[in-house]
Amino acid sequence: MARTTGGRLPWARTVFWLYVATLMLPLLWMFGMSIRPNEDILGSFSLIPQRVTFENYQTFFGDPSWYSSYLNSIVYTSMNAVMSLVVALPAAYAFSRFRFAGDKHLFFWLLTNRMAPPAVFLLPFFQIYQAVGLFDTHLGVAVAHMLFNVPLAVWILEGFMSGIPREIDETAAVDGYSLPRFFVRIFLPLIRSAIGVTLFFCFMFSWVELLIARTITSVDAKPIAATMTRTVSAAGVDWGLLAAAGVLTIVPGAVVIWFVRNYIAKGFALGRV
Amino acid sequence: MTRPDPRRRANRAWLLVLPVVVSVAFTAVIPLMTVVNFSVQDVFSPTDRVFVGLDWFYEAVRRPENREAFVRTLLFSAQVLLVEIPLGVAIAVAMPRRGVWVSVALVLVALPLLIPWNVVGTIWQIFARPDIGLGGWTVANLLGVDYNYTLDSTDAWITILVMDVWHWTPLVALLAYAGLRSIPQPYFQAAQIDGASAWATFRHIQLPRLRGVLTIAILLRFMDSFMIYTEPFVVTGGGPGNATTFLSILLSKMAVGQFDVGPAGAFSLIYFLVVQILCYVFFTALTRSGR
Amino acid sequence: MFEWMVWTPPTALVFAGLALLLVVMTVWGHFSPPVARRGFLRIETDRGDRLYIGLIGAAVVLVGWMAVTDLSMWLALGCAVLVVVVIGIWG
Repeated sequence: MARTTGGRLPWARTVFWLYVATLMLPLLWMFGMSIRPNEDILGSFSLIPQRVTFENYQTFFGDPSWYSSYLNSIVYTSMNAVMSLVVALPAAYAFSRFRFAGDKHLFFWLLTNRMAPPAVFLLPFFQIYQAVGLFDTHLGVAVAHMLFNVPLAVWILEGFMSGIPREIDETAAVDGYSLPRFFVRIFLPLIRSAIGVTLFFCFMFSWVELLIARTITSVDAKPIAATMTRTVSAAGVDWGLLAAAGVLTIVPGAVVIWFVRNYIAKGFALGRV
Repeated sequence: MTRPDPRRRANRAWLLVLPVVVSVAFTAVIPLMTVVNFSVQDVFSPTDRVFVGLDWFYEAVRRPENREAFVRTLLFSAQVLLVEIPLGVAIAVAMPRRGVWVSVALVLVALPLLIPWNVVGTIWQIFARPDIGLGGWTVANLLGVDYNYTLDSTDAWITILVMDVWHWTPLVALLAYAGLRSIPQPYFQAAQIDGASAWATFRHIQLPRLRGVLTIAILLRFMDSFMIYTEPFVVTGGGPGNATTFLSILLSKMAVGQFDVGPAGAFSLIYFLVVQILCYVFFTALTRSGR
Repeated sequence: MFEWMVWTPPTALVFAGLALLLVVMTVWGHFSPPVARRGFLRIETDRGDRLYIGLIGAAVVLVGWMAVTDLSMWLALGCAVLVVVVIGIWG
């Protein structure tokens, strides 16, 4: 029977779940670290925590430099996701429905911005964001992350929109809908899931980024990722606290992933799957 | 092969694209122009600077450190592709395709992709340590290998590679899985009636159908591994020595660490040129296979 | 306001040239829409694609030149222009 379910070998199931277990191991290990006191972590090696404690999490939520940077990250990633979406929606519609001078080249140019290393653009970011007064602000990071998220959003949305028949547009036009009214009343509800997926991916790629966010912030908008890389102090690394912070940064993604599980491939593939 | 383009010709569509052009111009074009300006000068301050012509470019292409980092990054990307693409396809083939476990499998496999890159670094920084990490401890104590990623270059390289495989193979697997699911069931039934072996089914039915998604997988994996920064930065900081100093790490050291904007600018531009070329090659492959 | 962009005359000239090129291509495209065809590059290109490939090729020539030889860059520039022209016409 195994082969009728799409060419799977009999032992494939076992191999697959073994792989998943291996995949989870480092994650579980970090979680295990986060609920141990530091003396236990460094004192003796053991598979199972001997004493379970939540003091690392308490430290995290008791220290403003930790929890405020966590909030900073949430604020600028949310702003970025919304801004990228709003900017990308009309453009994606244009790419999927019209031909215009230079459309192909523009589309490609967007891709190169998604693919280019942030380090390349980074150099003058410090000067630019200081010159326009966006240095160390949430808005500043949100704008800077549009560098890769706007292209991403345009590509994903375009992929989804091209799957929607053009006849709908034409019918609406015949019925006397203007383009903006058609777009808001008919088209947006049709691509609800695409909007959700796009928001998720913009949020996520902004959430995981460190280099840019770290460079154009110092105190007020410092992201959690930057705080985490600076835990190495004179007293050594506070492994337990670092692990706790790590676990907490995974939470937003892990919470939302269930709702987008069928679109993950599409989102990562820039809408081309 | 080429279908007639169903899209209407309308240059007014430019109005719809304008917000994107403006926002990306601010975040990409102006910085890039500034980088070009940096690259031909020795800048001490905006008012105190000297025009040096192409000196920084000569330095950028001739400095041994830069060349080594370039080769190192290419080597890393090649290894990443060699491991992750076959492994990802294998996992996709083994993934359950129906039943309640499909969703669970999808979510668990996708989980590493949603972890902040610096936390991926942190996870492996902990996991691979021989004293407190399960992975490092197993290798060092159970297998008896002298392993320490902070001291030994080979160990560091392998750690980074394994970390990348752990982090990104799920992406390849998910893409390949999406490709496999689009194959109509009758194909498999026909293969079964013909008595095709599992390998023959894979080779002649599944693999050809994966061409499109694998092109994207290769594009994404190549590009992202070519600009890898955060994970090795957290785990090894580019060391020991220069063993894991990839292009982006070297560049950020120059740019943010030392504020050598001239050399860093010239170096950035050459880096950007390489990315442009690769991107165009892949884009062409992508748009052609899409038709 | 744009002081931090540290402009120099040569780079300003390069960008002005690129901007001009874009304008010319747009105007040209308006009066005679580009036609896609196959040349020695063996992929379907229109004149915009060929210009892009040509410019990238030119940049590769310039960078490669610096990497391997100390000969004058003016010579490299000549080669680069040649690349743009050849790809533009027969690519």
